[in-house]
Amino acid sequence: MSKITVEQATIERKKELGNSYFAFEISPFSKVKAIKPGQFVHIKIPHTDIYFRRAFSVYDVHPQKKAVEIIFKVFGRGTALLSRLHPGDHLDILGPLGNSFAFPTKKETALLVAGGIGMPPIYFLAKELAPIMTNKSKAVFFYGGNSRTDLVELARIKRLGIRVVTATEDGSLGFRGLITKALAKEIDGLSGDCRIYACGPEGMLKAVDRLALEKSIPGQLSLEAPMPCGIGICLGCILPLTAGGYTRVCREGPVYNVGEVRL
Amino acid sequence: MTPDLKVEIAGVKFENPILTASGTCGYGEELADIYDLSVLGGIVTKSITVKPREGHPPPRTAETSSGMLNAIGLANVGVDKFIDEKLKFLEKYDTKVIVNVAGARVQEYVDICARLADCPRADMVELNFSCPNVDEGMEIARDPLLAEKAVASVKKVFGRPVIAKLSPNVTDVALIARGCEAGGADVLSLINTLVGMAVDIESFRPRLTNNTGGLSGPAIKPVALAMVNKVYKAVKIPLIGIGGITSYQDVVEFMLCGASAVQVGTALFVEPDAPVKIIKDLKKFLIKRKLNKITDLIGQLKEY
Ligand SMILES: Cc1cc2nc3c(=O)[nH]c(=O)nc-3n(C[C@H](O)[C@H](O)[C@H](O)COP(=O)(O)OP(=O)(O)OC[C@H]3O[C@@H](n4cnc5c(N)ncnc54)[C@H](O)[C@@H]3O)c2cc1C
Ligand SMILES: Cc1cc2nc3c(=O)[nH]c(=O)nc-3n(C[C@H](O)[C@H](O)[C@H](O)COP(=O)(O)O)c2cc1C
Ligand code: FES
Repeated sequence: MSKITVEQATIERKKELGNSYFAFEISPFSKVKAIKPGQFVHIKIPHTDIYFRRAFSVYDVHPQKKAVEIIFKVFGRGTALLSRLHPGDHLDILGPLGNSFAFPTKKETALLVAGGIGMPPIYFLAKELAPIMTNKSKAVFFYGGNSRTDLVELARIKRLGIRVVTATEDGSLGFRGLITKALAKEIDGLSGDCRIYACGPEGMLKAVDRLALEKSIPGQLSLEAPMPCGIGICLGCILPLTAGGYTRVCREGPVYNVGEVRL
Repeated sequence: MTPDLKVEIAGVKFENPILTASGTCGYGEELADIYDLSVLGGIVTKSITVKPREGHPPPRTAETSSGMLNAIGLANVGVDKFIDEKLKFLEKYDTKVIVNVAGARVQEYVDICARLADCPRADMVELNFSCPNVDEGMEIARDPLLAEKAVASVKKVFGRPVIAKLSPNVTDVALIARGCEAGGADVLSLINTLVGMAVDIESFRPRLTNNTGGLSGPAIKPVALAMVNKVYKAVKIPLIGIGGITSYQDVVEFMLCGASAVQVGTALFVEPDAPVKIIKDLKKFLIKRKLNKITDLIGQLKEY
């Protein structure tokens, strides 16, 4: 049985979230039940000369509908063209790809850190964790962006029932400043074990990596690299490992332990 | 009636003429997560060198119009690990295995091929004389006498058929082809990537750390077809066509120009299951054209 499939699916729903953020619900995808938080799909932009697929973290799944949700921000030509598609349009999707987050132990408090468009995989992880958490205070969702318009889908995150801490650099919502500052403050006030999960811009990931190493807190980061193939055959998506050599982000990653990759 | 897709090249029998190109399918493990590799006529593994190589620092790939640039820098596990692990994995599949070999000097090709001579599952070797990303390798690609010597030396140690893979980055590809034929090459495969460049206008820097890279994908198909056809007329040995193949139509074009089989490369990055679709579509094409055997297409181009 194949672990990964290439399938034609349909955009069932499209939601404009403002500030160039879009959400798509895509179905049917036969492997939906197998998708784990941290994994991604590789999508072909139809009817264009754009050659490579584009990678998107899975934001949510709906096994009954065989649906996968993604959120993306218009970044360049590929995502701009994607944003012009509508419900009913077909997409070619390859997945599920990459590794996934390791769940925390019963004793650990999960510190979930999302920066801007790094939110989708962190939300998916939080959603999977919420029902198995006997005590909802054992998880905190940190969500940071430049401005309040970067904190999309906040209401949906809050519905998970775990505590949400927000920060914006312009102070338009939550703490004024970087989300990593709020995270550091939380860690200082915390008693007992915790584990950090993070996805977001490079600067944020570097700060989280440093913080976790300094405080000897275990954790995982979801990283990015341009991905021509997404399945490990082109050797194009590499990052340097701290221990030497390279890692293929699409295959060995995109989720890595803190300190594992030279950021 | 089901049309016959079998081809025989230098005595090796392939179920169909669709192979995967070196460097675009790894050692097969990743594609095996998507479909059964036994559907392929053959698999050509990533170039192996004597010692493992890490390759160039990132970024080492860039997207271009209808294709891509790569300067991977021959990253590979080295011949020891290849034989112990990778070849063993491929033994599970009912497909032909062609091991692509690269080296800086003739002696390195000989050393690796001598090791592979003891591995019966390496049905053929393909000598990569054309990697544009390693300076030394290019010498063999451009010098017909050196190419002849390299093939002849490998032929002495490897008892099974030897393919020489040609570079398009030469003044006359037919000249090199004849050199390889004179050295005893059983088959020629062509083309490897074309030297290209991409520039980032924000940083004023090339988009690859290696500055230049190899261009592949649909962008190079016309160049590849012209070269296959030229070499077809220049030598008597069979050819394997490579360059921008993504559909059954492309395969038919290459076979008409003289290829006995083809390799699908960069297309695998975008459509990993492209070979599966191509094989299905080729059967339909043969039925539609009332052709019994795919070999009926080879070299049937009607020139003006
Ligand atoms: C594992 C993974 C998960 C991702 N998840 C999401 C997500 O959930 N939501 C979202 O909005 N974006 C996500 N991205 C980033 C998204 O794939 C990029 O925004 C996209 O590749 C840029 O494409 P473009 O066509 O808009 O830009 P273009 O300017 O057309 O892209 C130019 C080239 O640069 C490459 N490129 C440039 N930056 C990146 C980058 N950061 N990542 C990958 N390739 C890049 C592209 O492959 C392309 O070839 C993810 C990336 C990865 C690797
Ligand atoms: C990322 C990448 C890596 C490659 N690595 C090798 C290699 O190791 N050895 C080799 O002989 N050719 C290598 N090639 C060349 C291909 O095998 C093929 O000749 C070329 O890409 C043209 O075919 P295509 O347009 O179908 O990709 C590589 C190509 C790409 C795109
Ligand atoms: S994207 Fe091709 S190896 Fe990772």
